[in-house]
Amino acid sequence: MLLQLSISGISQGAIYALIALSMTVLYRATTIVNFGHGDFVMGGAFAVYVVVIIFGVPFIPASVAAIGIMFVLGIAVSRGFIDPIKAGPHIGFAMMSISLGYVLRGSARTLWGREVLPMPRVFDIEPVFIGDLVITGDAMIICATVAVLLVIFFLIFYRTTLGTIVQAVFQSERGATLIGINVRSFHETMWGVGLAMGAIGGILIAPISLLHPDLGASFLIRGFAAMTLGGFGSLWGAVVGGLLLGLAEQYLGAYVSTALIDITAYLVIIAVLVIRPAGLFGRVVTVRM
Amino acid sequence: MSATNTPSLPTKPRWRRVYYLVPVVALGVPFIANEYLQFMANLMLVYVLVTIGFNIVIGNLGQLAFANTAFFGIGAYTTAILMVYAGVPYVIAIVAAAIAGGLAGFLASVAALRGIRLYYLAIITLAFGELMRWVYLHGDRVTMGSDGLLMPQPSFFGIPLDSETPKFYVFLLVTTLVVKATSNLMRSRVGRAIVAIRENEASTASLGIHTARYIVLAFVWSGAVVGIAGAMFAALTERVFPESFGLTEVIVQFGMVLVGGTGSIVGSVIGAITLTALPEYFRQFPGMAELFFGAIIVFVLLFLPKGLVSLLARISPRFNERYYLD
Repeated sequence: MLLQLSISGISQGAIYALIALSMTVLYRATTIVNFGHGDFVMGGAFAVYVVVIIFGVPFIPASVAAIGIMFVLGIAVSRGFIDPIKAGPHIGFAMMSISLGYVLRGSARTLWGREVLPMPRVFDIEPVFIGDLVITGDAMIICATVAVLLVIFFLIFYRTTLGTIVQAVFQSERGATLIGINVRSFHETMWGVGLAMGAIGGILIAPISLLHPDLGASFLIRGFAAMTLGGFGSLWGAVVGGLLLGLAEQYLGAYVSTALIDITAYLVIIAVLVIRPAGLFGRVVTVRM
Repeated sequence: MSATNTPSLPTKPRWRRVYYLVPVVALGVPFIANEYLQFMANLMLVYVLVTIGFNIVIGNLGQLAFANTAFFGIGAYTTAILMVYAGVPYVIAIVAAAIAGGLAGFLASVAALRGIRLYYLAIITLAFGELMRWVYLHGDRVTMGSDGLLMPQPSFFGIPLDSETPKFYVFLLVTTLVVKATSNLMRSRVGRAIVAIRENEASTASLGIHTARYIVLAFVWSGAVVGIAGAMFAALTERVFPESFGLTEVIVQFGMVLVGGTGSIVGSVIGAITLTALPEYFRQFPGMAELFFGAIIVFVLLFLPKGLVSLLARISPRFNERYYLD
């Protein structure tokens, strides 16, 4: 029972980890927390749905197309909506991103109405039985994909020139500008990367959950809870926080009450902020007001 | 704050009195409105208070806290629960709603005082609102869950509020009093301290102003004002549903503050009156309210950062107010 719960917790948590990581990348790169992130994750899943169902494209190319769409959308958001208000107060970015998220959520609801969309089955992999333990094909695919992505991400981040540039801008925008890095286009690219990574999370979760516009809000809260738990702004923290959150949801749901699954993320945020605001791996950060 | 905004000089007090005409003119609304328009006018009064309360935290104090929907719901449910289960008269229920809203505001301010600011505050207050909605849904023994809690007919000092017109006059009285009180408070030493905290908390503290006290006060006042709005909303709709206080409501209220003008009382009134009718109209098109309010906030942030009220100031500098969020 405990092991079975842990498996579903980890496969859920892997997706939360991916979402939290994509929010963290964006936050570290631009000092903006994207309050519309959940809706962009949902948007990625919807894009796949549209391409698969309406244009009849197979799942894998459709996913690649959706990730590309979200990458371009990220650049467009940075150029069209974030850049023009750079001079204003920092609070404006949060207002802008939450409003853009609502625009996306509203568009999805306007187009699809109140229906809940089932995603077609993608991979029919036989579940693996180990004793009483059942590991579903979906859980294996999710965990494998996220693991591969994380390895690629951290390899790029710590082992390539590109990663060094990213780290340089993370440390000091001004210093990076001085040594000839184009910070503006860096920000645009990171918006694209953040949204594309989030979209992968949405695409992975789509086949095992029903699609509806309100998923956006729950993704945002869960991504934020994972970030808070791991330590705000810590890349590894986001991953660990996501996995722990997935486990906590399953355990609380099974041993206490299923109604608690929906509010575990809220409880985690509140508990962390009250007990240890820096999270597990965080350092105390001062934000630019 | 720019150099032209010297906070210690009095504004032109005589000119400001033209605003007293607004409630006087509003007295005539029931003579020209039919039942449905009258309902909309009542709803506008409710949203004037909602927006005024929200604007204190967002505009004057400059904190991104989305607990407003929670305050609104707490006010409405406090009123309904007291009237249904304890048979409390409506007048006392309004006071209780203000107290409950103020307590919720105090809770939110505790978060802000613990150093939970900006992003954390935004998320934790969003979570607070959703948590409250979860409580309304799962506390169905008291709140009747998603069926909604049916209110008994309210009466105000012996006047039965059985149709839209008597409700309008009562709401107009309450709204006018609360708006005037808020306006006085925000132009007083307290209001100036709150705006000073927004501009620079450390330097405000260095002037010997007890910043924590004023942060608590701003949140409590905001919660109480919105709690009163909740009590009016309960009497207006006669049945209180958890769905009235969901995430769509967050963006609607947020939109009213930004479209009207952050940090401006006149702006709050303009924002609430312009935008109240839209969510009602959009109810037949799912998603339109979110899409429209999201888009209009994006538009305002890009092209009209001081809101509709700044257009008034373009007509005549006399309309200028001093406590915008720049």
